[in-house]
Amino acid sequence: MPVFTPTFWGSPVAEALIEAKDVSVTFGSGSRAVHAVKGVSLEIAAGEAVGIVGESGSGKSTLARILAGLQKPDTGEVLFEGQSIYERGKAYRGDKRRLVQMVFQDPYGSLNPRMTALSTVAEAVRVHGDKSEGDPKDVSLKLLARMGISERDGGKKPRQLSGGQRQRVSVARALSANPAVLLADEPTSAIDQSAQAQLLNLFRGLLNDGLSIALVSHDLGVIHYLTSRVYVMKDGVFVESGPTQQIFDHPREAYTQQLIASIPGRSLRQESA
Amino acid sequence: MSANPMLSLTATNLVEIHDLVIGIQRTRKDRLLIVDSANFDIGRAEILGLVGESGSGKTMVCRSLIGTLKRRSASVFGGTVLFDGMDLTKLDEKGWKNVRGHRIGYVPQSALTGPNPVMTVGKQLAEAVRRNRKTKAPNVKKRVMELLDLVHIRRPEIVYSQYPSQLSGGMRQRVMIAAAIAQDPDIVVADEPTTGLDVTVQAGIMKLLKEIRSEFSMSVVLVSHDLALIDEVCDRIVVMHAGTCVEVGPVADVARRPMHPYTIALNRSRIDIAKPGEPLVTIKGNPPAVGDWPSGCRFNERCDWTQQDCTVGESPPLHSVGPGHLSACLHTDLLGESRG
Repeated sequence: MPVFTPTFWGSPVAEALIEAKDVSVTFGSGSRAVHAVKGVSLEIAAGEAVGIVGESGSGKSTLARILAGLQKPDTGEVLFEGQSIYERGKAYRGDKRRLVQMVFQDPYGSLNPRMTALSTVAEAVRVHGDKSEGDPKDVSLKLLARMGISERDGGKKPRQLSGGQRQRVSVARALSANPAVLLADEPTSAIDQSAQAQLLNLFRGLLNDGLSIALVSHDLGVIHYLTSRVYVMKDGVFVESGPTQQIFDHPREAYTQQLIASIPGRSLRQESA
Repeated sequence: MSANPMLSLTATNLVEIHDLVIGIQRTRKDRLLIVDSANFDIGRAEILGLVGESGSGKTMVCRSLIGTLKRRSASVFGGTVLFDGMDLTKLDEKGWKNVRGHRIGYVPQSALTGPNPVMTVGKQLAEAVRRNRKTKAPNVKKRVMELLDLVHIRRPEIVYSQYPSQLSGGMRQRVMIAAAIAQDPDIVVADEPTTGLDVTVQAGIMKLLKEIRSEFSMSVVLVSHDLALIDEVCDRIVVMHAGTCVEVGPVADVARRPMHPYTIALNRSRIDIAKPGEPLVTIKGNPPAVGDWPSGCRFNERCDWTQQDCTVGESPPLHSVGPGHLSACLHTDLLGESRG
């Protein structure tokens, strides 16, 4: 059981909003079986940013998909506010669907190339949104404006937008459902450094507004900047977990030490520290 | 080993890029300029970092070094790229055959799609070894094994007969590097070689590039938008913005005492030196669209120090602001203490 500590953003957290209990997933069977996630438990409190780090193939994306209800665990359960997310075999039925939203790594692949940014978000608003909030188009424009996308850029199709803009459109679409948890799978790995800074500022604002964020990444810089707790994943299990700062300052596991040593630019950081 | 070891003793630069203009001729009268203009040198056995946002023209500059602009329907409209005294912009396809791969190696961005999926690693490397040379078969295999060993591939005899799909991303990129150095080039151009790879793998690839430089005195051009990475690996940095070079200099100067507002802004958006929870400084507005640059300094709409003369005329040229340190900012005196 991880120990909860005060987050960077304010009051101490206690209750888990979303929780995975001893979940496992195996792909394939027999001698070719891949045990992607092996009996992993994790919890995220309301308003908390949690990081999941690990190399390719460590199972971190599968874990995010389990939390999002896109991948059913073979064993174990996923709880949202103490209740299983599965009812009659389906995850997040009915109006629970909006609670957990996901942002994917490749903003180009996850947006419909034939739809403008505005119609992409408006479609999600129509599906999830509260009718009382007004016209889906106005709601979408507001969401896009909050993401720093102007009305003019809203009329553009994905290929006309920069990578950073595309990723912000993906976030706007995810937020249109008014979720409680945002799962972001490598959201910054395909975009420029300055676009990355913009996106991280946005995420910070969302945390202040009480959203929970699970950030899956192999970029420890991003994890260190945004999250208050971190789980280090290797070969389908957590090798280490705890408050982010503590893990970065005193990594216990050799694997974590190796990950931290690989972050570029440490020389300058140590110099300025 | 460079093609001529004696050359590495001379002080001249290996590559000198002057007023390079690259663009696409869309119709007879309509030209879209992508780079206008690039000015920088690449020293012998130097690791040069090329940074800039998407659309700043860094990939096009690389393509002009390996002669593949035509594949993006782009061409050189002006300027020179002097490589060891030879103007690369004047080369025809026949001339390129003696340069590309042979004297200038290239490591592509995407390690996952770079190698030919239906050829074994051994065959692909053999192709790279044999090109331009008549090497006997046993020697080719020997050289391939040597290359695999050079890029630290474990169990090379197994990897030799494997297909790229059987290798991890990091291994594939090592194979691509082996192919790039197969002919002992004078310089290797690596265009974002670690995008999409894990940090630990990235660290390994960077270590390898450094080794190649010191063992064979090869120059390396490393393209990246990750300043932290450039900072750690490179000797000098060229910062590109909106198709032009805005700052050039030794890493220590450019990263720690930047003399152009764009570099300052890039430095401030680095998360590796940011305090968790504190706002990251982002650059105002969006980068100008390719070729649709404002007059004067192309950064003037996003700059905190814009003066009247920044918004008129041509894009300002680079001028010296320190030993080997050049900036295109007209008002470096204003940047003062707020740098860093």
